[in-house]
Amino acid sequence: MQEFGLTLVVLALGIIMSVYGYYDAAAGRPNTFLNFDNLIDGIATPMSYYAIMAVGLTIVIITGGIDISAGSIMALSALGTAAALQLFPSTAPAWQVLPVAVVVALGIGLLCGTINGGLIVGLNLHPFIVTLGTMSIFRGLANVLPPEKTLPSAGKRLPAAFTTEFMRVEVWGIQPMPLIIMLLCVALGWVYLRMMVVGRETYAVGGNEEAARFSGLPVAWIKLRTYAIAGLAAGLAGLVSVGRFGTASTSTGTGYELTVIAAAVVGGASLLGGRGTALGALLGTLVIALIENGIIVMRFAQEYRLIIIGMAIIVAVSFDRLSVYLSARRGNQRA
Amino acid sequence: MTDFIQFRSITKTFGGVTALRGVSLSIGRGECHGLMGENGAGKSTLGKVLAGIHKPSEGDVVIDGTPHIFSSPREALSAGVAMVHQELAFCPDLSVAENLCMGHYPRRFGLLIDREAMADRARTLLNAIGVNLDVWQPMRDLSTAQEQLVQIAAAVGTNPRIIVFDEPTSSLAEPDVHNLFRLIDDLRQRGITTIYVSHRMPELFRLCDKISVLRDGQYVGTLGKDEMTHDAVVRLMIGRSVEEYFPHHLAGSPGDTVLRVRNLTSPGLFRDISFDIRAGEIIGFAGLVGAGRSEVAKALFGLDPRVTGTVEVNGQPLQLQSIQASMRAGIGLVPEDRKRQGAVLGMPCRANISMAVLDRVNRAGFLNDAKEKQIAANFFDQLHVKASSLEAPVNSLSGGNQQKIVLAKWLARGGRLLIVDEPTRGVDVGAKAAIHALIDGLAWKGIAVMLISSELPEVINLSTRVIVMRDGHIAGELARAQATQEAILRLMAGVEMAS
Repeated sequence: MQEFGLTLVVLALGIIMSVYGYYDAAAGRPNTFLNFDNLIDGIATPMSYYAIMAVGLTIVIITGGIDISAGSIMALSALGTAAALQLFPSTAPAWQVLPVAVVVALGIGLLCGTINGGLIVGLNLHPFIVTLGTMSIFRGLANVLPPEKTLPSAGKRLPAAFTTEFMRVEVWGIQPMPLIIMLLCVALGWVYLRMMVVGRETYAVGGNEEAARFSGLPVAWIKLRTYAIAGLAAGLAGLVSVGRFGTASTSTGTGYELTVIAAAVVGGASLLGGRGTALGALLGTLVIALIENGIIVMRFAQEYRLIIIGMAIIVAVSFDRLSVYLSARRGNQRA
Repeated sequence: MTDFIQFRSITKTFGGVTALRGVSLSIGRGECHGLMGENGAGKSTLGKVLAGIHKPSEGDVVIDGTPHIFSSPREALSAGVAMVHQELAFCPDLSVAENLCMGHYPRRFGLLIDREAMADRARTLLNAIGVNLDVWQPMRDLSTAQEQLVQIAAAVGTNPRIIVFDEPTSSLAEPDVHNLFRLIDDLRQRGITTIYVSHRMPELFRLCDKISVLRDGQYVGTLGKDEMTHDAVVRLMIGRSVEEYFPHHLAGSPGDTVLRVRNLTSPGLFRDISFDIRAGEIIGFAGLVGAGRSEVAKALFGLDPRVTGTVEVNGQPLQLQSIQASMRAGIGLVPEDRKRQGAVLGMPCRANISMAVLDRVNRAGFLNDAKEKQIAANFFDQLHVKASSLEAPVNSLSGGNQQKIVLAKWLARGGRLLIVDEPTRGVDVGAKAAIHALIDGLAWKGIAVMLISSELPEVINLSTRVIVMRDGHIAGELARAQATQEAILRLMAGVEMAS
């Protein structure tokens, strides 16, 4: 089972880091890895954007597609949300602010995702090409549309009801909101893929699009809604980001798409389609987040970060292929 | 005849599965030796061991007195063994010449490809087996039969002493099969030893000097030319004899017209197709590959965006070009290409069977697991699918059982008209009989069946009537009594039929 192997990897990384953190800590000080501040602020919160988008992307990858425009959609959503919320006074009540934030962020994500899906299905173009194009277009819009490079504009602040009292709300000294939203997303993704008819259709299209068509499944619609969901997830990531930082900029989410793809693939999604799970997306993101955090805790020079992450991706995917190969050899292969 | 090739207690295991178990077998020089067995019996594996594709786990092969254990096709080739594969492996966008010379392109200045020399070599290779083709056309444009000829030319071009043919006729139509046979006879006359792996008995009887039979990975016996009878082979293959199948549905009388097709036309594929199928009838469609039979089937199922004409199902006009409309009208299609169009190979049997009835296991958007399992299990048992469980992925099943899963998918949906396109291609004898009985049983229950098959005995045996297609139109219709092999072949090939 895929998730089992990943869980072992996560546990192994966690144990190595905890042991390191125990010896690393000065006498009488807490473990430098295994403490709430590091686990939440250092790992869970930063990984939440990636994990939310990785769940959406995993659904796309299961159909055999790809979406590399997620980071740009996230930027548009964050900027749009900031632009809408700065119209409110910074003391505006939650019942006014939160619905606006959610509708704007998710609406932008859904719209962008539907554009992706519409182009892919309508023009019958390869999803890589389409989302390569829209990645650039959405990022360009994020540069052009806002009046300033960073929102809210100078002198303005986003309503506290959205930032410090919602996305950054403190409970027992930690800020759990991004973590909660991430877990909620994974749970929804799990239900979608595992328990719903739409999920089964997703696997069928990815496993063999032709056979799915020959069974009467509405393949075009299935693919379209998949990209819409990935856009929705990117929009949600934008919402979390703008709420947590209180600002959004034209460079929000730049380069995130690659980390998200890496997370999905490490999580067991097959770029050939037909394989992947929501839990895998979470665990894949967690593996990358743990390695990133480890680089910080162990005080490796940040310059090595990209090299280590890159190697980790290749190692993880090779192990995955190896396990697939071994289980296939165990299965019956006769001539 | 001396033993030219000797398999000495060959065992081959894949992981935990034993495909061959201590097979010992001798083949004489210049012989055409048939290898038979049900799917999974190990006949292809044995051929592949000889051709170096599979390295035996135990045992070796003695060729002309020299023992070999090949671990790559290259080693086998240098010992004079070439193979013509069941699945054709070419680069579809490269030309015939480029494919034929692959790996040893003639060069100019050591760097550039000498196109003239390449074309010459390709032509020489093709001429050696009496084939004339434009060597610059891309592989993609060739018919399956032509592709296979190119593959044989490539094999013969290596100057082998032995050629292994692995199910070479599985995707060929009748006249191409005759050409292939002539070619194999010709090779034999040149002293090349041929190993012919197939499960089509008439072919083996016609071609082979001897037939060896494998069952469950073990050698069962060898039959000489005078001992080759259908019964003898089947008895060796499955350990018992099977009776000729006589369809039960003929005992009933056909009901109302279920399908009425008038002037169905799709530019470039078929034209003016008109026929009826009544409830309880099996209408066999014979014709060459490319005559338009599968194309008509796809059009009836809503897969042809350019089709025109009128189709009525139970008197109601059918909206063309929509799969959903066809399915609502009660049409099901078991497509010709099981692996590409029939099953999602990586998904479990359960999910494959339920694929056309997802609307019925949909409870407010959620999968009704219990109901899905119940539907799937019902047809899984009814069709006697041999698989480790309902949850086994379809690609772990044998060809015959994969086909049963695809059939189960449409049986689960039910309906008035079932189109089955090559239902027993690549299926072993046992499963074949089961599938025939199943199709017959459907007609007996009053379902209209459109049966497309390139195996004439299948069409003749099962059908109420036979429609023969040629070059995209209906060449003729034969009642069961008139539908002899000869009559069908004559219609299939038209007036200029030579043999």
